[in-house]
Amino acid sequence: MNTLSVRAFIPPLTRRCAPLCTTRRYAVQAPGAPTLEIFSHQQKWKQKERAASNIEASRNVDYLRDEVASRLCERLMDINRHFPRVLDFGANACNIARMLTYPSEDSPDAGPRSKRVGTLVSADTSEKLLYRDADLPFNKEVDVQREILHSCETLPYEPDTFDAVLSSLSMHWINDLPTVLSQINKVLKPDSPFIGVMLGGDTLYELRTSLQLAEQDRRGGVSTHTSPLADVRDVGGLLQRAGFNLLTVDVDDIIVDYPDIFSLMKDLQSMGESNAVMAMEKGPIQKDVLLAAEYIYKELHGNDDGSLPATFRLIYMIGWKHSPDQKKPLERGTGMFSIKDYLEQGKMEGGDK
Amino acid sequence: MTPQTRNLTRPIDKFAAAAAKCSKEGTAYGKCILADYNNVHLEKCGAEFMKLRECFMVSLSPDMHEYH
Repeated sequence: MNTLSVRAFIPPLTRRCAPLCTTRRYAVQAPGAPTLEIFSHQQKWKQKERAASNIEASRNVDYLRDEVASRLCERLMDINRHFPRVLDFGANACNIARMLTYPSEDSPDAGPRSKRVGTLVSADTSEKLLYRDADLPFNKEVDVQREILHSCETLPYEPDTFDAVLSSLSMHWINDLPTVLSQINKVLKPDSPFIGVMLGGDTLYELRTSLQLAEQDRRGGVSTHTSPLADVRDVGGLLQRAGFNLLTVDVDDIIVDYPDIFSLMKDLQSMGESNAVMAMEKGPIQKDVLLAAEYIYKELHGNDDGSLPATFRLIYMIGWKHSPDQKKPLERGTGMFSIKDYLEQGKMEGGDK
Repeated sequence: MTPQTRNLTRPIDKFAAAAAKCSKEGTAYGKCILADYNNVHLEKCGAEFMKLRECFMVSLSPDMHEYH
């Protein structure tokens, strides 16, 4: 009887709701809330510092970053403007700065590409990698301002500061891409472009599959040796979510041939691009697995001459910050000319345009 | 330790050199895995791998104590 008398004091609504509240919850993830942490930034920072402390080895593996930075600069040159203040977010060894001192591939006589750029602010978390080439001659040809970031997910800049933001081969280590992209959008001046490139999709699929097969055969299970990467389809949505306009996303594959799996892994290590997934197994890959993976790679993907191809899939993205006087795409159905006719006309004349 | 001496004695280089000497056994092992690579299980190609491992150990012999 006692319990009944207590129940009588509880208002009827609470009484009806109480059992529900204990079993079910309702949660909303607010934008900007901490997301799942996939990559260890501390680990990545350590790898980059260690890689850059061996200057010679680190410079020898710049082939990929230099090539990608050069292609990125070409995309910047396609925009017919002068950029007084440009941010290079995730600069690695200032590869973009060096590539800007070379002339454009489209117009080799026009002088260095850096003529169109005022100050380039190169920001990265790893001090050693950032300052690795600080005493090389190219630093005099372009106005580089090196800045060390405390975190690769925070941009410590005022809104509306930059005329363009570039990012080359570093965004694939970011945990919270939507937030970083909206920060980039914020620091851009209105009607200014963000041009970025990141590794994505099928990057290093040969290595991934060989290691998986080797581990399945040797250990009976698989563990994480390569990062999860964004896909082309995701990037458009990400840019749009961050508030960018007039998006362009395209893909480029660079295939590099290596003599063996060990050279590939050594090069990745010297780039500071080794595995930094939080959930990875501690310690190096087992030797049995490595030996097995080498020959599985050779059989499954190897070239005829015995070399091993490694695919790097690059996702280029261009987005513009919103501005009221920005040119907008024409409305659907307002086109006066069929693109089909235009393309077929080009084909008939034998031209490629 | 200077970078030069470290590069010359890096264990992975010795490992690579020893592994490269066993391409006959390695190819046999690779072919065995590839024959049905959608259904790989523990020790699927155990016999082939043992041959590869033996060859590898012999070519690594001066440093055999380093291999566990």
